Amino acid sequence: MEVAKKEEFVPKIVGFTCNWCTYAGADLAGTSRKEYPPNIRIIRLMCSGRLDPMFVLKALLGGADGVFIGGCHPGECHYIKGNFYARRRIAALRTILKQFGLDNRVRSEWISASEGDKFARMMKEMAEEIKKLGPNPLKGKIL
Amino acid sequence: MKGTELSFEDLGGFFKGLLENKVVDALIMPYRVGNKVSYMLVRNTNKIVSPASVIFAPTFGVNAANVVKGWLIDEKVGIVAKPCEIRAAIELIKLKQLKEESVLLITVDCSGAYKNEVYAAHYAEIGDMVDCAKLKELESKGISIREACAICEHRLADIGDIVIARMNGKIVVAGLTEMGEAALSAVGLPLEDNTKDLERKEEKERIVAEARQQLEKLPKISSLEDLEEFLRDCILCKNCRDVCPVCYCKECFFDQPLGKPAGGDLLNLAELRGAIEVPANQLLYHLTRVYHVCTTCVACGACEDACPKGIRLTRFYPVLAEKVQEIFKYVPGKDVKEPLPFTTYEEEELEECLR
Repeated sequence: MEVAKKEEFVPKIVGFTCNWCTYAGADLAGTSRKEYPPNIRIIRLMCSGRLDPMFVLKALLGGADGVFIGGCHPGECHYIKGNFYARRRIAALRTILKQFGLDNRVRSEWISASEGDKFARMMKEMAEEIKKLGPNPLKGKIL
Repeated sequence: MKGTELSFEDLGGFFKGLLENKVVDALIMPYRVGNKVSYMLVRNTNKIVSPASVIFAPTFGVNAANVVKGWLIDEKVGIVAKPCEIRAAIELIKLKQLKEESVLLITVDCSGAYKNEVYAAHYAEIGDMVDCAKLKELESKGISIREACAICEHRLADIGDIVIARMNGKIVVAGLTEMGEAALSAVGLPLEDNTKDLERKEEKERIVAEARQQLEKLPKISSLEDLEEFLRDCILCKNCRDVCPVCYCKECFFDQPLGKPAGGDLLNLAELRGAIEVPANQLLYHLTRVYHVCTTCVACGACEDACPKGIRLTRFYPVLAEKVQEIFKYVPGKDVKEPLPFTTYEEEELEECLR
């Protein structure tokens, strides 16, 4: 069989967003018709503090090319301090992943419900970044 | 910090005194069986035989803190152990797996330890205790201390309620906390102020410098390929988890269906991905576990000793944990009052680590 053209790499990004800010921000990006690459698959959490770093590891080991984590701006958490704890967890997890060169596939941003623009921009940025990095090296492996 | 000098012979009297005067209801301390040294939980003073010959023995079998993990009892237990074990106990107190008021932590100076089987095999050469010079001499004969001990920066006893230090051929016993000082008074030891002597700043600096040098020498796991290669022999027996003093969940994620898929679940996964390695989730297990212990790992190396496949886990768990502890400026087991990094936060911090 012949393959006419090498297929372009389309990154798959798993997004964990909090219900109150980033998810609403993504919603706003949609309703205000902002364009952004359709690489992200969003999983809605009630709070970024709900994110068990194991989720991120599982996504990466499962072949996700990138993991995006979105929460309310620090100090504006719906549950007062959930994102403060999340920040510490993500920082620790990324420090571990850094050892294996995986940290740049995990990115978190604070995006409020009114920042549809920022959400669209971040999605663009991240999709480009991951494209540059190429596919997740764990993807094809037998794990 | 108040305490007194003791002779090696008096040490037995001190431990017996703790039990006789009801300072503690029981003691966990080392005892000798032939060439070997193990821990005993002792309540009868007759069973304490020449402790001076065992408490400094440079051997590591289990982490004593692992024994008391989850003991939420009111009886008071004294633990006589090396600094890494006491540091683990302090972390367990913070994790609410141990009651602060029902343990008396007695830290003994450590000079680095041999695996217990190595110690037993070379007992004739190693003896009851070692110092720096002796360690080097043995090293030249090919008898080396554990890797975890070689990179350990906390060999001198400076935490817990009571410290038992070896200084210039003598033993100094001192209380660090009120509970410790009260315990010393209760057994009738005079409390003299000798804070300065016990600081041992120069010795500490020397140990830290040497440890860092050793750490530099360790082979690094710096890429995914390295990691895969490193874990290749892992059979997922989870011994590293079971002997870890600070891995404490009652129900581990990796004993549940999501972490340990079987049968139809596995078939589905294999269908989805074409093929999966079995037993499944090896990489997920180690990466999740290193995250779980990253702030509390005291680098005792019990995981490496317990690995039936001889994976040098000291190059993984403590090395990665140290990087995380660095960003929180946290030293596990240093201070029982200091909150665990994941239970606290600052309003402005760590933004540079997020993206």
